[in-house]
Amino acid sequence: MAADIKTRHVLLWAIFIGGMCLLPFVTTPGTLRTIIFANYLAIFAMSWDFLTGRTGYVSFGHPFLIGIGAYASAILSYRYGVPVAISIPLAVIITMIGGTLFFLPALRIRGSYFALVTLAFMELMYQLVQVIRPDITGGTRGMSGIQTITSGAFNNFYLSFALMAVIAVILWTLTRTRLGTALSAIGMNEESVRGSGLDTTKLKLFAFMVSACVAGIGGAFYVHYLGSIAPRNLFDINFLFTIIVAALIGGASTVVGPMAGAFFLTFLLEYLRPWLPGSERYFVYGAIALVLYMYQPKGLYQIIVDSLGIGKSRNKQEAAGDSAA
Amino acid sequence: MTALLEVSRLVKRFGGISAVNDLSFEVNQGESLGLIGPNGAGKTTVFSLIMGEHRQNSGTVTLAGEDLSADPTYLRIQKGVSRTYQVPRPFADINVAENIRVGLMPNSIRRMISEGPDPDAELALARSVGFAAADLEKTPGELSMGDLRKLELARTLATAPKVMLLDEVFAGLTVGEITQISDLLAEKRKEGMTYVIVSHDLRSLEPLIDRAVAMTFGHVIAEGTFREVMDNEKVRAAYLGH
Repeated sequence: MAADIKTRHVLLWAIFIGGMCLLPFVTTPGTLRTIIFANYLAIFAMSWDFLTGRTGYVSFGHPFLIGIGAYASAILSYRYGVPVAISIPLAVIITMIGGTLFFLPALRIRGSYFALVTLAFMELMYQLVQVIRPDITGGTRGMSGIQTITSGAFNNFYLSFALMAVIAVILWTLTRTRLGTALSAIGMNEESVRGSGLDTTKLKLFAFMVSACVAGIGGAFYVHYLGSIAPRNLFDINFLFTIIVAALIGGASTVVGPMAGAFFLTFLLEYLRPWLPGSERYFVYGAIALVLYMYQPKGLYQIIVDSLGIGKSRNKQEAAGDSAA
Repeated sequence: MTALLEVSRLVKRFGGISAVNDLSFEVNQGESLGLIGPNGAGKTTVFSLIMGEHRQNSGTVTLAGEDLSADPTYLRIQKGVSRTYQVPRPFADINVAENIRVGLMPNSIRRMISEGPDPDAELALARSVGFAAADLEKTPGELSMGDLRKLELARTLATAPKVMLLDEVFAGLTVGEITQISDLLAEKRKEGMTYVIVSHDLRSLEPLIDRAVAMTFGHVIAEGTFREVMDNEKVRAAYLGH
């Protein structure tokens, strides 16, 4: 039975990866661009979930981290002529350092206070990039004509998919270790983790650094896909909620969930567009997300697992660590 | 016998209230000490101070001669002092084996990632507190209060303590569960475990301890054998209110 379900898992992954690889040959560039956005949204949602889904520290500041990565790489390459192959790794390091400087003091508080403080970071970043050295950041208008890594929907699709897949595999592998169990345990009862002889500050900081690293990678690659950056699009509450809702309705504390949520949300918003071109589609998307969340709080991941019958044999030890297999 | 755990002139104030007031006691290696007193006496606060969950206003806590007063909780646990809580605090969404696993984990991210869990050690600890192998798959929601206390004991034992602080370990248990936990503690005691036990169930506590310290309003009012302490007039007055 267990072997049978494992086979089904492998088969489903093979179908998913094979399908994604063949997709550019059977679909339009327009649809590919939608999927490229979904891939990047999945990266952002996985980044958010690794911190929040595991440790329970609700971050409203992920656009701040994504923004550091995006702006750092854009400025380095656009203003200073640094090659993208160097500007992206530097941007990721800057995101991890810059993010840590802000988030480290905030990790001492939790609950709604942590969420509000991190929300303030996003707003702070929004103001800073417009006011501080607009000659470098581009101010309110941002920057355009930023160097792209590759051109065309076809190449960008494979790039974003490969990036998402590599990040997913690394995060999934991490969550399968004892570290994953410890991070999940923090989300359940931080005092008990401390009472088990573990330094929770160190663990939270590590979770944050991984989360910031992924956000930085996503932000930096995304800006070199778009070729432009504007503060109003990046440090936007809708963007923040799209990331969070993707992770939640997909299935928090899993790796597959945020990916599934990102794809679901992106296509939902895209297919609502012909009928509801204005911002009212966010109302419909909110309602659908709410109903879905009420129906299954564990998200789309659990619906998929239940409907395909691929979760029952998983022993409970695996269940807590993660749910990606 | 040498003092393994020594609490010296501990003071803890919460605003204007002195929860612990110039409190001192010591526990010798292999000894079992009962810490008794009426509700609000400050017993749990003393445990929190020993563990570093609260910071004392003054006084020291030493373990085997080493001052722990400045150490954070996780470091005190690594040095050999561990506690259970009045209300068990399991990790609700993971099973018994994983709950114990958290207690067994090294405080090293590199080792957490590179070294896998030790199912044999998890099973041995689970069995040592009376769980069967089949119980490892259960989540805390499927356990009785007695089993939750056993789980907490297992996770505490997983940290390899020299001294265990047990807070109201019999609270909410059936008579059968009390016997089970008592037998377990007695067995661990034979193996040389040092205890400080807080309990309102004095009848169950008596056979488990060598000595008792009674406290009220944050300070010690009597010390001696269980019988001596219970016969003390101040203790009787503290419990009975006259």
